[in-house]
Amino acid sequence: MIVDSLTFLGESLFGPRATAVDLLAVLDDLGVERAVVCPMKPRGYHLGPANDLVAEAVRAHPDRLVGFARVDPNLGDEACAELERALGELGLRGLFLHPWEETFRISAPFVDPVVEVARAHGVPVIVAAGYPWLSEGLQVGDLARRFPDIAFVATNGGQINISGLGQTDVELALAASPNLAVQTAGVYREDFLENVVARFGGGRLLYASAFPYLEPRLEILRARWMHVDEEARARILGRNARALLGA
Amino acid sequence: MIVDAHLHVDDIPALGWKMEAELCVRRLDEAGIDRGVVMTIVDAPEVNPHAIELVAEACAAYPDRLWAFARIHPWYGDESLALLERAFALGFKGLKLHPVSTIAHPSGEDTLRLIRAAAAHSAPTLFHCGDEPLATPLAIAAAAEACPEATIVLGHMGGYFHVDEAIEVAERFGNLVLETSAMPYPAKIREAVERLGPERVIYGSDGPVCSPRIEVEKVRLAGLEPEAERLVLGENALRILEAVR
Repeated sequence: MIVDSLTFLGESLFGPRATAVDLLAVLDDLGVERAVVCPMKPRGYHLGPANDLVAEAVRAHPDRLVGFARVDPNLGDEACAELERALGELGLRGLFLHPWEETFRISAPFVDPVVEVARAHGVPVIVAAGYPWLSEGLQVGDLARRFPDIAFVATNGGQINISGLGQTDVELALAASPNLAVQTAGVYREDFLENVVARFGGGRLLYASAFPYLEPRLEILRARWMHVDEEARARILGRNARALLGA
Repeated sequence: MIVDAHLHVDDIPALGWKMEAELCVRRLDEAGIDRGVVMTIVDAPEVNPHAIELVAEACAAYPDRLWAFARIHPWYGDESLALLERAFALGFKGLKLHPVSTIAHPSGEDTLRLIRAAAAHSAPTLFHCGDEPLATPLAIAAAAEACPEATIVLGHMGGYFHVDEAIEVAERFGNLVLETSAMPYPAKIREAVERLGPERVIYGSDGPVCSPRIEVEKVRLAGLEPEAERLVLGENALRILEAVR
């Protein structure tokens, strides 16, 4: 089973948009059975309606989609209450944090309360990672070290850097935190992905397309054409997402 | 013919990076690529005084497959210039500059002097062009404005967050060419071709550590017209490299 561990639904403040119909067409085209879906930051700024939209899509396609809730830790108690609503009433299955679009440092202490809510519900956390100043590899790693009993997944291989300058920090974070994994979407250098497998085993890497921000027809090639054995490839393409994200 | 305009050979134990010519050619074969341009990761004369020889030896091993670019540190004045001239005497086809590794601004006089020396051979200068200070499209555009006679290639065409800016500066300065390596948006290749014309976009992979096979497929996913795709995948690079003297 192939699982896309990161996709988005809604209409982003920043332009991209996607419906469940769009997403399912892409999944079908590429032979992907299931996907984790996260809310976009909506034009209205409020994440509550975006969580509702994801929950609605999951209810319509429960066999294909697993929904994650998105909250803004800057809002304190309000964010915790929204996460409680999304994980309880809406039935979503994980927490998605986007430090760049919501503007917060992922390792800041005020992030902890929403992560505590995720822990109380026993759900994993996906972090939009690699953004300078806010979600660098070691900053995500710092959060993962403080919550060793939660599964954290960093997007973009934990780095968005076309010089490769962030790769060592990500490897240090992976070495320090067995509860941290990274996704394949948009990663600079295929050998970085192959090194993650060689150094940490096939359980720390998950295929992700980041649809519609990135092109799934390109992104899936990173996993399909990676120079790793077939056991590792099967884990990257689906088994890890099922184990870590419940997808 | 497919030409990969951006590949690396080097051996850097401190980083654990080893990129041999044999691996470059194997990756080109996997992707059905005819020829490639190779360059080092570090610069001559520092931190590798033998960087020119390293690339020359790689190309000598595969004379029908690999062309050479010289990666030169601009800080060393006449020594830098002499290294570049020696590279052209050895048959090198261009200059590569990575302002992040050298901390040399693209518009600095030392850098402009090298760009102009390359242009005197009708040779292009390939810049690392991404999201870091010293290497953004606007920083490199200052060099393009100062050296209108030079062909300046924006490697990675702006990286992740500076792609629109790369297209904008290329619209402003006709001597800028965009190179596609490792930039993750196929649709931006199509947009660049539509806005700049198909002659000013060239395919590169940043291989062998970035996958030439995936990077070629990225260009195909841009959905270009067949003639434009041929230009981007090889004919543009061939035209630029064959003019070097």
